[in-house]
Amino acid sequence: MADIIVIGAGLNGLVAANYLAKAGKHVLVLERRALAGGQAVTESFGAGFQADVLHAGGQLRPDIVADLDLARHGLPESTSEPLISLHPDGRQLRLTADSDSETLASIGAFSKRDAERWPDFVAFMNAAAGFLDAAYRTPMPRLPHVKLAEGLPLARLAMKLRGLGARDMFRVIRALPMSALELTEEWFESDGVRAAIGAVAVHGATLGPMSAGAGFSLMHNWLNRGGPGHRRVENGIGGLANALVAALKARGGQLRVSAPVEAVLTDDQCARGVRLASGEDILAPIVISGADPRHTLLDLVGAPDLPPEFVWATQSIKMRGSVAKVHLLTDGAHALPSGTLVVAPTVRYVERAYDAAKYGRTSLEPYLEITANGPVVSIHFQFAPYALRGAEWSQERAVLERIAIDTASNALPQLKSSIREIKSLTPLDLEKTYGLTEGDLNHGQLLLDQMLFMRPMPGWSTHKTPIDNLYLCGAGVHGGGGISGAAGRNAAAAVLRGK
Amino acid sequence: MPANHYDAIIIGAGHNGLIAGAYLARAGKKVVILERREMVGGAAVTEEIFPGYRFTEFSYVVSLLRPEIIRDLELPRHGLKILPLPSTVTPMDNGDYLAAWPDHEPTRREIYRHSPRDAEAADEYGRVMARAAKAIKPVLSLVPPDPSSMSWRDMVGLMKIGQYAKSLSEKELYRIAKLVTQSSADLLNEWFEFDPLKGTKSASGIIGTFLGPHSPGTAYVLLHHYMGEIDGAFRAWGFAKNGTGGVTAAIAASARALGAEIRTGASVKQVIVKGGRAAGVALENGDEFHAKVVMSAADPKRSFLSFVESKHFPDEFVEQIKNFRVRGSSGKLNLALSELPQFTCLPGETPLHRGAISISPSIDYIERAYDEAKYGQFSKNPYIDMIIPSMIDRDMAPPGHHVMSCFVQYAPYDIAGGWDDTKRDAFGETVISTIERYAPNIRNIIVGKQVITPKDIERIAGITGGNIFHGELLLHQLFFLRPAAKWADFRTPLPGYYFGASGAHPGGGVMGAAGKMAALEVLKDWR
Amino acid sequence: MLETLELKRTPFHERTSRLSVAQNWRRWAGYAVVGSYELSLDHEYWAIRDRAALIDVSPLMKYMIEGPDAARLLHKVTTRDIFKMGVGQVYYTGWCDEDGKLLDDGTVSRLSDQSFRMTSAEPSLRWLAMNAVGLDVKVNEVTDEMAALSLQGPKSRAVLNRCCADRLDALKYFRLMNTGISGAPVSVSRTGYTGDLGYEIWVQAEQALTIWDALMAAGADYGITPCGILAMDMARVEAGLFMVDADYTASNHAWIEGQKSSPFEMGLDWTVNLNKKGYFVGRRALEQEKKTGSAWKLVGLDVDWVGLERLFAEVGLPPQIPGMAVRASLPVMAEGKQIGYASTSTWSPVLKKYIALAHLQRPHYEPGTAVTMEVTVEHHRRHAPAKVVKLPFYDPAWKKK
Repeated sequence: MADIIVIGAGLNGLVAANYLAKAGKHVLVLERRALAGGQAVTESFGAGFQADVLHAGGQLRPDIVADLDLARHGLPESTSEPLISLHPDGRQLRLTADSDSETLASIGAFSKRDAERWPDFVAFMNAAAGFLDAAYRTPMPRLPHVKLAEGLPLARLAMKLRGLGARDMFRVIRALPMSALELTEEWFESDGVRAAIGAVAVHGATLGPMSAGAGFSLMHNWLNRGGPGHRRVENGIGGLANALVAALKARGGQLRVSAPVEAVLTDDQCARGVRLASGEDILAPIVISGADPRHTLLDLVGAPDLPPEFVWATQSIKMRGSVAKVHLLTDGAHALPSGTLVVAPTVRYVERAYDAAKYGRTSLEPYLEITANGPVVSIHFQFAPYALRGAEWSQERAVLERIAIDTASNALPQLKSSIREIKSLTPLDLEKTYGLTEGDLNHGQLLLDQMLFMRPMPGWSTHKTPIDNLYLCGAGVHGGGGISGAAGRNAAAAVLRGK
Repeated sequence: MPANHYDAIIIGAGHNGLIAGAYLARAGKKVVILERREMVGGAAVTEEIFPGYRFTEFSYVVSLLRPEIIRDLELPRHGLKILPLPSTVTPMDNGDYLAAWPDHEPTRREIYRHSPRDAEAADEYGRVMARAAKAIKPVLSLVPPDPSSMSWRDMVGLMKIGQYAKSLSEKELYRIAKLVTQSSADLLNEWFEFDPLKGTKSASGIIGTFLGPHSPGTAYVLLHHYMGEIDGAFRAWGFAKNGTGGVTAAIAASARALGAEIRTGASVKQVIVKGGRAAGVALENGDEFHAKVVMSAADPKRSFLSFVESKHFPDEFVEQIKNFRVRGSSGKLNLALSELPQFTCLPGETPLHRGAISISPSIDYIERAYDEAKYGQFSKNPYIDMIIPSMIDRDMAPPGHHVMSCFVQYAPYDIAGGWDDTKRDAFGETVISTIERYAPNIRNIIVGKQVITPKDIERIAGITGGNIFHGELLLHQLFFLRPAAKWADFRTPLPGYYFGASGAHPGGGVMGAAGKMAALEVLKDWR
Repeated sequence: MLETLELKRTPFHERTSRLSVAQNWRRWAGYAVVGSYELSLDHEYWAIRDRAALIDVSPLMKYMIEGPDAARLLHKVTTRDIFKMGVGQVYYTGWCDEDGKLLDDGTVSRLSDQSFRMTSAEPSLRWLAMNAVGLDVKVNEVTDEMAALSLQGPKSRAVLNRCCADRLDALKYFRLMNTGISGAPVSVSRTGYTGDLGYEIWVQAEQALTIWDALMAAGADYGITPCGILAMDMARVEAGLFMVDADYTASNHAWIEGQKSSPFEMGLDWTVNLNKKGYFVGRRALEQEKKTGSAWKLVGLDVDWVGLERLFAEVGLPPQIPGMAVRASLPVMAEGKQIGYASTSTWSPVLKKYIALAHLQRPHYEPGTAVTMEVTVEHHRRHAPAKVVKLPFYDPAWKKK
């Protein structure tokens, strides 16, 4: 019998399972799909049509790679890509965290002054991301009655913030609640530069560059990407999950795929195992769920067994995903430059794209991120709201595909004629196929009121739940959001502390 | 002391300047308050723009004026009366309305008519917000410490905040943390389902900001407005006898009685700096005033970028003030009326005419109004908060006639192409036609109108950007970041120069806390 | 147009307003109800204790809870074991927040396997809805649609037997039955808020006046008397029954933790079933409190009349106490220190005693403890000797027979 059941073989579930297996626990990971990886999967949609389905890139936090010795288990190489913002007049703005001469020249074509400020901006963003990384590593206790053992790491975090020096400390604090526009206005004069950074800020989030709080999501995305562009994983992002699976098996852990969990079994407010859709019960003294908090609590546990105020808080988690993906199999003659290509020419363009989502409509002029891998071109589409008003995703899919292809082809003229096959994923598909409630990649929007000691809900940032021995480890809990494994690492530590 | 020599000079006779002056005079200091205009009041003025019709030109309600200031300065003796503004009504597109009274029972019955679920939620919400307001109130009267400093005073300040946080219950603490970071739309969607109710409540979250109700951070502004207080009773809004000009007139009378001198028509050009200290001010007309201490009650931009040469401040400070957001987002329409407007949903004269009338049918309505503003246009369908002062204070208009004050959002200061007379007229017309949808007789009963754009607020009241709070109540512009990091304690990098206005902690509204706290800090430093 | 500014009228208003000589109206949950019909409470009070008193209790909040999970919802909300409740049974119960502090109290009646009626003092629709997430159940508020009359007093059964389609002799304490009065279907429960023999009659609002008239006619020979809520207030203190927001603060209304009370603190131990199966709101906190014991307890205070008389005699006055229940907090002292407070006090006409419901701290809440309660004697604060007693003060043998 397993000591611990982990629900979901997403990156966070696998990271948590590895840490626990490393600590000597018998861990069983249950995955509903036939392949492990969750959002970090490379899948095939037909002959020659293989794509990184949800994320064009990503990286596990370096401490996780080291702790779990993943290099030994086949962790693939990853490389940082430049972000290339495509403009209607054919100009291309290249942004990298290296501030290499090509980048500076490219920015300089938009604004000399902005090119001069770029290295300082990168340094500031790296410092801010570094602080966020430290915050994501710090356990977030229940407030306000913090025990000494919990208070010390918090004090260390505060000292780290002060350690940035007064100027950067205030810059970080101020930037968190700012809009991306306000933040970038303080650095750059070129609208093109502001827009490209604004696009990074709202990537994966249902926010516009003028929304307050996008300063925070910018830091978050910068941290996870390690800069403005993606980190592309050699031979597909699925390699990250494969390495984690290999490491888990080497540590004696088990993985069962095609084993969808239907319910968390409880007895007197204490978890005692899970029931699979097949009706099979698997018992274990500890259950950790990598599924999103709302699904875990309201579907797998069930509201009737939970306190009403807690149920209300769970219902109130803001998910509202608005990302869609359109994958294209081309004949190879798409003529895409390499890099993370972005259609976000002006701040207003991206903001207007977001406006549509506010009112439940698909953006007619969307913000796109386009990446190519051989003949396959993947388009990340924002905004396509999960909850459409006056339309259904079954019909809207065609609209989405048309807008995505037309918008991308405007910027990349040779793309359209090269297309052979299309595979699109609406937010509804993200929910149905990938188990992402409301299609939210982050299991809960990256908003300041849903972060740190308020993630997933105020008072429950400890990875615990009102059900004893049921823990949460997915992207929706502290550390989470994005491809990083931090939430899984934190949850494993909480489980080990709790015992 | 020679003529034109004072202990303290206050720049600006708005309510904060007057309050600061009164407190300093009360402590025995020789004070002069210098006002650019020919009248005192700043943005809290009542003017008879049309004979017999008195307009509360800019700010029009009182809720946040601290009761201790009313007591300390004996304002009732100087004529202050705050009359109750008992209700809010939201006309609906279907000819019905949603009303709210201070008594929760009729309010509950009223909401119940529209949504039984919301009726109970509204009661609970009111209690939760009142508790949150109570919990956060002590912070408003704290001098913000500098979290980057190691000085004794700041460390004690930080400890006080730590103790304060520990004094809160878990629920209160998280509630506040959420309120500070959340959007008002998200907050209200958690509680309610009925659109006019959500729209009306969300409106107080956007007043004076350049944000829509879907923007994070607006829930705090909503709470800020919840802190309105009359005689210690939470949540009661009021209309001052004789308009908000009545408030500043009472404060001015009190200040004078305490020995302060008030000079109008005295426009300050520059702060005189001697030996690295503020030593007085020079007026536009060349007159000079000398004093040990100078305090500005003008907005941060004028206080730090115009009155004082930048060389007297560190670059970092100047940069922060430059980055301080003062985007005006609201305008006003003041109307002189020959009779009472007839609202389709409220025929005749009802008790609801004595309260606020809010054009806020839904959150989306207000968000769309914001969408236009963020792209540089005034809202085609704006949020409007109306009151009919003559229904509350019969002295505001000739018998049988009325005045109506319409607060309108959004009207961006930076309108595309800049404000001019044509645009101002078009703005006024948009507001009138919006009101007309709910009160069809409005156009025919107008005997005089005054349209005020953010540009006019800047021009007349002297507030840069025309922002009614002298700087938006954004999370990154609050507490120890208001108006700039390290300088939130009412002091400035220039010794002898103090700052006590809405652009300082704890922020805007006719509250007076900044003026009072700044005066007390001046006295602390007095040697 | 602004009808929502007016107090609501109960379905019996047409009758009660004509009978109300004293014009003594009270607000109760947004309704105007008669405080007392006459200038003195005596006649109405003694109707409760000796004859049959007819009281309009329509403002009680009433909810219908129906569906396959109806029992499960109430099992989760209340502290009692609803799964063990039979059809036709009525439970009195409190319900708590997650910290085990009382939100409200009321009755739950099981009308059928999947159908319950719940009454409460405060609006509870939202709380029920919040608890119903994930359950197959419908909650409907029927406060306005359903009228309620309380017929209380030793002769109440005789009156009902005269006008109901069925005899009520077999109806046991805290049970209900369906019958008819003058052709109108009614539900009659053997419940009340007086501690005497009594019934509550539930009827559709349209038939309210029919029922009123039938009961008044049937009761004429028994001295049936319309009775206001002030006389009932005296009777309920004698019966040891408390009232939300008078004797305890609903936890969602409290400004501070100290204002909240648990069911144990209110003496409702008998309603808290910690052996019941499954989760219910506040379970863990209540289990904890059961283990550690309660810091406070609601008890009765029997004020020593001789001692009280002496305090007044010292200044040359006869004892002066109000002739009705007073909901004002009075400090209770022991050994010179305040150890609690009385929340409602009243003169008990039947017991000829001055009594009070009081919240006392451990260990002073044990029956028999000598304490003092504050009284104001000719503008001066004095302390009358009193004894802690078990509730209720008055418990006639015929109440449950």
